[in-house]
Amino acid sequence: MARIARRRGMLLLALVLALSMALPAWAEEEPLVIYSGRSDKFVKPVVKVFTDETGIQVVLYSAKSTALLNKLKVEGPRTEADLYISNDAGNLQLGSDMGLFAPLPEELVGVIDAKLRAPDNTWVGLSARARVLVVNTGQHRTDFVQSVFDLADSQLEGRLGITNSSNESFIAGTTVYMLEAGMERTRRWLEGMRDNVDGQVFNKHSKIVAAVAAGKKDIGLVNHYYIYRHLAKHPDAPIRILLPDQGPEGMGVAWNVAGVAVSKYSKQPERARRLVAFLVSERGQEIFARVNREYPTRKGVPTDPAIPPLDSYKVADVPMSELARQRRATIDLLESVGMP
Amino acid sequence: MILLRKDHLLPYATAMVVLLAAIPLVYVLHASLQLSWPEWRGLWHSRLPVLLWNTFSLVVLVVLICLVLGVSSAWLVARRSFPGRRLALWLMVLPLTIPTYVLAYVYTSLWENTGWLGRLWLALWGDGAALPDLYNVFGVALVLSLSGFSYVFLMSYAAMTHGNPHLEEAARLHGATPREVFRRITLPLVRPAVVAGLAVVALHVLSDFGAVSMLRYQTFTLSIYLQMTGRFDYNGAAGLSLVLVLLALTFLVLERFFRSRQRYYFGSHMKRLTPRPASRREVWLIWGWLGLIGLLAFGLPLVWMLSWTWDAWQARAIGMEFWGYLGNSLLVASVAATTAVFLALPIGYYYNRVRSWLSAVYLQLSSIGFVLPGPVVALGALVFILSQLPLLYGGLLALVLALVVRFLPLAVQSQEAALQQLTPSVESAGRLLGAGPLENLWRVVLPLIRGGMISAWVLVFIDVMKELPATLILRPVGFDTLPVRIWIEASEEMLELAAPAALLLLLGSLPAVWIMVRGETARSL
Repeated sequence: MARIARRRGMLLLALVLALSMALPAWAEEEPLVIYSGRSDKFVKPVVKVFTDETGIQVVLYSAKSTALLNKLKVEGPRTEADLYISNDAGNLQLGSDMGLFAPLPEELVGVIDAKLRAPDNTWVGLSARARVLVVNTGQHRTDFVQSVFDLADSQLEGRLGITNSSNESFIAGTTVYMLEAGMERTRRWLEGMRDNVDGQVFNKHSKIVAAVAAGKKDIGLVNHYYIYRHLAKHPDAPIRILLPDQGPEGMGVAWNVAGVAVSKYSKQPERARRLVAFLVSERGQEIFARVNREYPTRKGVPTDPAIPPLDSYKVADVPMSELARQRRATIDLLESVGMP
Repeated sequence: MILLRKDHLLPYATAMVVLLAAIPLVYVLHASLQLSWPEWRGLWHSRLPVLLWNTFSLVVLVVLICLVLGVSSAWLVARRSFPGRRLALWLMVLPLTIPTYVLAYVYTSLWENTGWLGRLWLALWGDGAALPDLYNVFGVALVLSLSGFSYVFLMSYAAMTHGNPHLEEAARLHGATPREVFRRITLPLVRPAVVAGLAVVALHVLSDFGAVSMLRYQTFTLSIYLQMTGRFDYNGAAGLSLVLVLLALTFLVLERFFRSRQRYYFGSHMKRLTPRPASRREVWLIWGWLGLIGLLAFGLPLVWMLSWTWDAWQARAIGMEFWGYLGNSLLVASVAATTAVFLALPIGYYYNRVRSWLSAVYLQLSSIGFVLPGPVVALGALVFILSQLPLLYGGLLALVLALVVRFLPLAVQSQEAALQQLTPSVESAGRLLGAGPLENLWRVVLPLIRGGMISAWVLVFIDVMKELPATLILRPVGFDTLPVRIWIEASEEMLELAAPAALLLLLGSLPAVWIMVRGETARSL
């Protein structure tokens, strides 16, 4: 008896192992696989409409953008990914520099501003986010602030909210400032902010906005949509947006884009390009940007009425692809300053 | 020993398993060899001293806290009989089912201005009071201790329920006070078990990724991960990993040294000790202490999960897909645990029967997976499978391979503890009665160490259920497990969806915990 039971156990084990090895062979109609570093809930809506219209199934493989880029690189030709989505232009351009992506035809992505896609069209920006300030309206201590560089002023000691410096958006923003204002000025800026926050940094942008709304902080450096996400939930919150570095001398607001690329080793590039075509179409653009109150990268697509209109402010003149080139320099700078 | 030399199967099998376990190490060695001298110097100057200090102080702190929590709770539950003792046993083991990243998340949200603990704190000290900061070594140590002390509890409890009562009686008859008996008899007898438990805790701390990344405390693991993903610097990451491995090996050798001179064979004079009934005052004290530990390590997180899950339930946000995630988690965990237990057997057995430098090296090499950060193990497995077994890529096998490599040491540790209790005389008897080596293994050794194998299986199962960093990178497309879902939802701050996943993870691990607790109670309660 016991021996039979044992044998049965072994058989079961063998079966499970065999099944697990057979798993990749299961799928009949290969779905498109997206390695996605953007939140599931901001990608799913647009993908769902695409699937409803074309019948092409799409599977999201979510993880951190950078980790997925590593995976793509190691996998090489063996990858199952057809597309790659990231919230950070730096990551997209890095992947492009590593030769992981296939160029997209100009007639497909030409509708998007050239600064918001790769010079060789290996990736294309889909939605843009602005690096802005959130201010508590019930105080006047921050009235002097005109520029992000004013955040280094010691008047803001203990009153400033920033994220930790490993945050993707924080790194990208710092890169833009470094390109615009130079290494030394950026270093002094970081040192000033470091002293102002005294180790007390935030994990999430949403918590900065909440802290400013609650009066725990006076001012914070965030992506614009976090402010409007908070206002949508709490319409009476005492906060407003401050668009920094405007005026004739100002460098403008730092932008960053979320974008998509097609894997060089995709087995179904034709269908992958169909998805890209949908994402840059007016309809796809509106859904993709609207779910997160971002700016569509295609001109003429309506933006969310709550956020500042596109032409109402100045944007820093930095091609998005530069974000990748300077990323290591930025990380080195952040580390040498000892940003928390 | 002489008898075993005849069969070459054992060393051969052991070598095969060790080769498998050493895959990530080979990768790390290969990649760090490409580091130039200036690059090494750069690593040293920029971060190594800080990392060494951060990691070392964290390990020491967690080990000390776990020593206090684990040994005190084990002693109370093992040596006193009081109402609710079985519940206490459960409470001390259940924290194992909560991953460190969930615990870290729970505690950071509880300590906010609007969190339960935060509000309590402000009510106690006034609105202006500063909340305690968790983003430092103490916060991380708190989280890691609360989720790790159960290992110390389990191993010391098992040792404390068994023992030779004559030794303690003899000491008492010679006039030793209870305190002296505890310090000079009980403690030395259970010391190997306590040290083994602390070693498991320390290895968990060294390889922890969840709590340190959530609380942004720079240890080797986190720094290696950032080096790899933030800077795309594999060689630098490998260099740091190599230093970490050396650190951990030193530590493991030290642990061996502390344990090797102490071997207590369980013989016929060993008895299940009967616990002394606790007085009324003692019952209060016991429950005050155990209740506090249970509340912090399990009660609060559980209530937190339940309340968010309730919100999600009311919002009808919990769909059928959650059962799919649970199924995936259970499948991976049981396959990986079963594989790990069988692969660990030759290593422990070989080490226990043939003491040589080779068997010792094998044993240490097999613990590499536990020391290396999950992302590094995953990358090593990925590179290995892509270059050697490309046909298998994309399935579950890559993931299972990485997980087995990662948790093999846990299986080796707990089986080896069981093998140590197996007196050589029993085995010799089997051989003398004419059993061949395999028959002896099957009919004498295996039944005797069944308990050790089961607890090894359970420990690996629970750890695989919670594993995140390797699973995130190696899971097949479309195959999301519960930790992966927790990570996805928590990174979007969708707590009402992260909580049910964490709760399901707990429920899915319950049968395993039940097996473990039943094993303990059958012996002692």
